[in-house]
Order: sequence, then structure tokens, then C-alpha cells
Amino acid sequence: MKALVLGLVLAAYAPQQAGSTPLDPQREARVQALGKQLRCPMCQGLSIADSNASAARAQMDKVRELVAAGRTDEQIRGYFTSRYGEWALLEPEASGMNLLVWFLPLLLLMGGGYAIARTVRRRPASALPAPAPEPEAEKAREPGQAPPDDPWLEAVRAELRR
Amino acid sequence: MRRRGIWIGLSLAALTAVLLFVLAKGFGRDPHEVPFQLRGKPAPDFTLKRLDTGAPVKLSDLKGKPLVLNFWASWCGPCKVEHPVVTMAARRFGHEVQFYGVVFEDSEENARAFAGPPDPTFPQLLDERSRMAVDYGVTGVPETYFIDAQGIIRDKVAFPIDPRTMMEKLAALRQPAGPVSEVVR
Repeated sequence: MKALVLGLVLAAYAPQQAGSTPLDPQREARVQALGKQLRCPMCQGLSIADSNASAARAQMDKVRELVAAGRTDEQIRGYFTSRYGEWALLEPEASGMNLLVWFLPLLLLMGGGYAIARTVRRRPASALPAPAPEPEAEKAREPGQAPPDDPWLEAVRAELRR
Repeated sequence: MRRRGIWIGLSLAALTAVLLFVLAKGFGRDPHEVPFQLRGKPAPDFTLKRLDTGAPVKLSDLKGKPLVLNFWASWCGPCKVEHPVVTMAARRFGHEVQFYGVVFEDSEENARAFAGPPDPTFPQLLDERSRMAVDYGVTGVPETYFIDAQGIIRDKVAFPIDPRTMMEKLAALRQPAGPVSEVVR
């Protein structure tokens, strides 16, 4: 605890600078939207728009500068990926090899579902014991007619005859 | 029917193998390591102010001799350890390689106090609002860039450089360059 307090008191920090002057509301909305897509290099899973790190602020300044210069969103994303690679994008673009990451789990899920459905459909027929062959007398009997040697039925008939 | 089942099984196995390969590639790398894409590409141009004299320094004026750019800040602990290494290398190899320090996200006053008396072999440059650092893909400090005489970024060290690494990188900087990649704008 002592070390933490000492560290906080004595440590030097990056002097915080405010971001560059915001553009008009429409273009500034674009700056913020682009900032949300770009990964802060000094943070853990944060966008440069959401981070207070000095490097993130510097990158937001750059986004603002490029928007003001009339660059398209794609060109601005390209500026960052040409320096940091696809890593700079919080959500990798669905193109090229990245398509594998987007569609492989879906394909596997579909394949797995199909395999399970096939197995389940086939199992009841093979898993249940085969029914015993019906005797000839049973086959000849009318539907609803009781078997001739049924003792209960014979008892009922005898009672009725009396 | 059985043959169809074998094919489906094989397809699923192949898909799983591809997915595992992609995941292994993703999980196999250090999440803190930021990829560096400017290796082999022309160094983005800059004009920065010298900390000691205030004179402007342009990258285009520095071409013709290899260049070492060291990004640092007074608030960065590892930079304190690294600074003497770069200073010594500049004094020893300054006749064949240019050494410049670039102050990153720091006040002029703090930077002056950190850098000490002006050193002609290792001048310091002020990068206001870190515009140049963003152009160079700097992710933090300290970082050291090795640029050849033609202005091509040959390498980058994203940790406090030690004397051995410095010697290796300087030796590599003297080697002839490979094919030049596209210009970075």
C-alpha cells in the first residue's frame, strides 16, 4: 500500500493535452464514429474514441485532420491499417482470409446440426428391439376382434350366455 | 449412403482443422504486440523543431546518411534506462549514422530537464501533438526506428534498447536494402 501511495505521489505522468478543435457537428459525428472503430494501441480492447490515453488522443486528432482534408472512411481506416495492420480495426473487415473467421463457425454449426439430425433420425429404428413375428391367426383376425384364446373374453362370454 | 457419410465427416474435419488453424494463429500471438507495417517502406516526411535551437529539421534534409529516431518522454520510466544507451551509440557512431530523439507527449520544460545539456551528436526534436509519431505508427515509448540512407524504414525496436540490440541494428542498417515497398501516405 505504501509503495502504491509513494508511486502515485512520485511518479511522472504524460501531461494531458486536450483534443484538437471539433469540426462541425456532421463531420465531428463521422470523426467519433471512425474513432469507435479504431483500436487504441496503449489500451486493452478500447477504441481511440473511448480512451483517455495520450496516444489515443493523438490518433483522434489524426482522424479529425483526415476527415477535414476530405478523406473517405475507407481511406482513413486504410491510413491506420497501413501502419498497424488489421489489428488497428476493432472489428476486422469481412474480406479475404477474414471471411474464414466470419463464416467457418457458421458452416461448422450447420454441419454439426446436420450430423446430429441425421444420427437422431436414424437411431430409433436401429436402437429399438425388432418386434416379434405375428402368428398366422393374429394376421387373419379382423381389427377389433379379440384373440380366440383370451381367458378374460371367454369368461365374459360365458357370463352373458347364462 | 455410407460413402456420403464419410464425405460429410471428412468435410467437417477439414473445416474444424481450418478453424483450429485460424484460432491457433490468433491465440498464438502476444495480444500486447502491435503489428508494425512500415518496415521496408519509405519513412513518412516530417518537419520538427529542435529542442535546443528551435531550428526546423526536415526528414528530406537528412537523407543520404542512415538515421536512428528514438521516441521518448520524461514520464516514461524505461526511457530513463534507455537514454544513456542511445547517447553512447550516438557519440560512438555519430560520424556514420545520424541520431535524433523525438519527444513524445511531453512538455518542453520536462523534456529539457530530462535531456540535459544539448548534445550535438544526439539532438532532440519536439513533436507537437504527436502528429509525426502517429504517422510513424508509434504505439508508446520508448521506440527506436532505423532508417537507411535512402529514407527506407528498415526496422523498429519497441522496447528499451540495450547496447547489443543497438549494435545489431546498426550493423543491419549498413547492409544494402531490399526492394522498396509502396509509398505510405
